[in-house]
Amino acid sequence: MAYAVRFEDVIKRYSRGGPRYPSLRYELAEGVRRFGARLKGERSEPHGTLALDRVSFEVGEGEAFAIIGPNGAGKTTALKLVSRISYPTGGQVRVRGRVAALIEVGSGVHPELTARENIWLYGQILGMSRSEIRRRFDEIVEFAELGHVLDTPVKLYSSGMQMRLGFAIASHLDPEIFVVDEALAVGDAGFQAKCVERMTKLVAEGRTLLFVSHALSAVEAICGRGVFLLDGRSAFAGPTRAVLRAYLEWIDEAARRRGVRPLSVAGRGLVIERVTLHGPGGEERYAFRTGEALIVWFHVRALEVVPNPWFSVGVNDGRPGALLLCSMLERPMKYVLEPGNHIIKCRIGSLPLGPRTYEVWASVRESQGAADLVDWVCVGAFRVAHEEAVAGPSGATVPWMYGPVRVDHSWAVESG
Amino acid sequence: MEVQAATLPVRRIELVIDGGPRPRLGQALRELWAFRHTVLAFAERDVRLKYKQTVLGVLWAIIQPLALMLVFTVAFGRLAKVSGGGAPYPAFSLSALVPWMFLQTAVTFGANALLMDSAIIRKVYLPREVPVLGAVAQAGVDLAIGVALVIILSPALGGHFSATWLLVPALAVLLALLAVAVALPLAALNVYFRDFRYALPFALQLWLFASPVAYPLSVVPAQWQGFYVTLNPAAGILDAFRRVLALGMLPDARLLAASLAGTAVLLWSGYRLFKGLEPNIADVV
Repeated sequence: MAYAVRFEDVIKRYSRGGPRYPSLRYELAEGVRRFGARLKGERSEPHGTLALDRVSFEVGEGEAFAIIGPNGAGKTTALKLVSRISYPTGGQVRVRGRVAALIEVGSGVHPELTARENIWLYGQILGMSRSEIRRRFDEIVEFAELGHVLDTPVKLYSSGMQMRLGFAIASHLDPEIFVVDEALAVGDAGFQAKCVERMTKLVAEGRTLLFVSHALSAVEAICGRGVFLLDGRSAFAGPTRAVLRAYLEWIDEAARRRGVRPLSVAGRGLVIERVTLHGPGGEERYAFRTGEALIVWFHVRALEVVPNPWFSVGVNDGRPGALLLCSMLERPMKYVLEPGNHIIKCRIGSLPLGPRTYEVWASVRESQGAADLVDWVCVGAFRVAHEEAVAGPSGATVPWMYGPVRVDHSWAVESG
Repeated sequence: MEVQAATLPVRRIELVIDGGPRPRLGQALRELWAFRHTVLAFAERDVRLKYKQTVLGVLWAIIQPLALMLVFTVAFGRLAKVSGGGAPYPAFSLSALVPWMFLQTAVTFGANALLMDSAIIRKVYLPREVPVLGAVAQAGVDLAIGVALVIILSPALGGHFSATWLLVPALAVLLALLAVAVALPLAALNVYFRDFRYALPFALQLWLFASPVAYPLSVVPAQWQGFYVTLNPAAGILDAFRRVLALGMLPDARLLAASLAGTAVLLWSGYRLFKGLEPNIADVV
């Protein structure tokens, strides 16, 4: 297949890393220092941050290609190289066709100008011809849903409206290669759906799309292939599903590393030395399946006699608020912790959770007076693994807006 | 962009972005030509922006040179008794003030253009000289208004109708080239070192005093004039404006040629410097 964009061992080094602003005084001093070093026969090291380190990939003509990865992995840098905003330090970027970049589209519109003036002028700045803008003006206004405020200065708009205007102008360009970066953080849910639709349409028309987003469900819906960038290197490249899985596994791994770090929470009278998660057979585990049993082990050292401490376990998916709460408050027990080591186990009989990464939180309360011995704290993480049976077409991504809790349910249709 | 659009049916123009040296100047100029409409769009935007939210609006383009003319007439014409060299001092000073103010505005806006448009620079590909050229072109509107003002006030200020006025457009082009030559390297340097931003108003002040605006070029001894004008191309061009607009004379061809040579050298070296600094502009701005 003919390619539209091709990266060959591309290196991008930002010469000035770090928070310092360049100043003439520093540059002069630095120049003298380097000159001195050269006189002494020292070789100066290339300094700065390496944003892309020998990255190679190829995007076919008419293909929708995703670039994903955590913050600072080099995604935006890659897009900037394709759109010529920035130049590579080494290697080669080959681009066939006209490129339009939708990168932080809202910030290009000018706040003092009206929407009408912005469409006219920003459109030209982005590369539309006058006749092209005249022809598509109404279409752009309609897409931005701003017909009622066409002659109001943009600075009086809400920020969402500004972004909508920017996206509407930029997405009506007529290039062969579209480069889209986080444009979906634009506007409300309705407008976002429209943006996805617009991009799907552009791809259907045979245009090439390079898409960077953290909205993984949108990535999966639009893109066929992609690359997972990590610290400036290509960590995985291939079909979107596989790339997303590699990315999610990396996220899990990072979450697990966070959760497994030696945790020792000192409370009043007792210390939770660590918390481990176990499968039904008692083996320590990180990955679970929907419907499986999960046992939380609290490794506790009591410093004094603690009568009847009430343990609670909460599970959430990263958003505030617990999805599940298992508490001794609900299952009253009578016991006393003597000074020494103990393991307290909480068994969740059947995990009613869909594939996603979850956090485990815990707290300990005094049986009388309900004072906290240990306040709520994140003590671990686990993942409900991908399962073909419940996955459906978008199982790998687990759309954020879908509820994570699975319940037994059935449907019936009764007609006429 | 239209040039590119027209060649699109052939398509498959392959663009290779190498991590190596930048394209040569000729190639850069060809690309700039393809972006000429974008320059105009920037200029149009800047003109629209300039007097937004001002009560007097475009009147400012008239008020500023007139006010300066009054100050100059009182300070230099009356108190310091500077000679108008054949024209009444008000006409003498206004005819050089108008082009000087263009130069000042164009250089100031041009030098700050990349900083002002950093949002666009960081997100859209353009040859980076486009916003700078737009800023210079934008100042042309004020120049046109100013020249019209000089011509309209000419009878009142003691000037007279002259066919030499027809030379003004050509002189304006020369002046704009000089503005571009100065603004381009400053714009790029400004991105890296904001020091230039603070030094610029001061430097422009010095430039004004070093140029024949308040005084006639003839205060410079005749044998030094050619040298002076080559070093400070603005002097020859401002003098030509004055001769053409206030004195009804033709420009001094020898001095104008010297100015042109000085401008050409500045323009070539300024553009070279600009292109050398260009690749990292979007990363730093």
